[in-house]
Amino acid sequence: MSYKVTEEGNIATVHLDGEIDMDVTEKAKEVIFPHIDAGKEVHLNLSNVQYMDSSGISVLIESHQKGLEKGTKVIIKDVSKSVLKVIMMAKLEQILNLE
Amino acid sequence: MSETAHQDHIEKKAFLVNSSSLKEVRNFCRDVFEKLQIQEDLKDELVLAIAEAAQNIVKHAFKNAASPTELMVVQISCENNKLQIAFYDRGTPVDPKKVKHREIDNVKPGGLGTFFIQEIMDAVEFKDGKKPWINHLVLTKQL
Repeated sequence: MSYKVTEEGNIATVHLDGEIDMDVTEKAKEVIFPHIDAGKEVHLNLSNVQYMDSSGISVLIESHQKGLEKGTKVIIKDVSKSVLKVIMMAKLEQILNLE
Repeated sequence: MSETAHQDHIEKKAFLVNSSSLKEVRNFCRDVFEKLQIQEDLKDELVLAIAEAAQNIVKHAFKNAASPTELMVVQISCENNKLQIAFYDRGTPVDPKKVKHREIDNVKPGGLGTFFIQEIMDAVEFKDGKKPWINHLVLTKQL
């Protein structure tokens, strides 16, 4: 997994790239969580993530819940069809902020 | 169920028990499903189910303790359009009664892997592991 972060005002956009599985979840959290902890609105761009397993879904849930705790938002953007399918299988499409 | 008749096929591969093997497990499955000409959407689901089962071996049977020598074997077979995926490992014995996913409406991180496997596959069965193996999991799906 690789990533790119851009910051504009109070919005941090995290572009993840590659396959998100158990092997990279700690790295993904290290990239995402500091921005949420800093109170930024975080946009997770998943357009280049073609595979995500239950560990990756856990990162999305944790990020979402952390955002709620910190009074900010985590918005998941440009989800690929294959990842959306997994989010829907987990019945999270109404829980997570998907755009 | 697909209308395509899939050729009978059997293939197996051993992987080191650690999280960095999971990508190799997925690539192995993708290659085999390519040979079996399984359609894209189903292929993605099957790869997810298999990767989740392999992840459970790393996470639960070996408690995330990466080993430089311990192996898990994944065997994919297709016979008469019935797909069977067998997993063998020598980790802590799994008690099938204790294998359950979290309540799906109780949204929290974790506990989804087993749910995905059950959603995707027709049957999930723990069999007695024959020496040298301890755990033997079999997932099946009618194609």
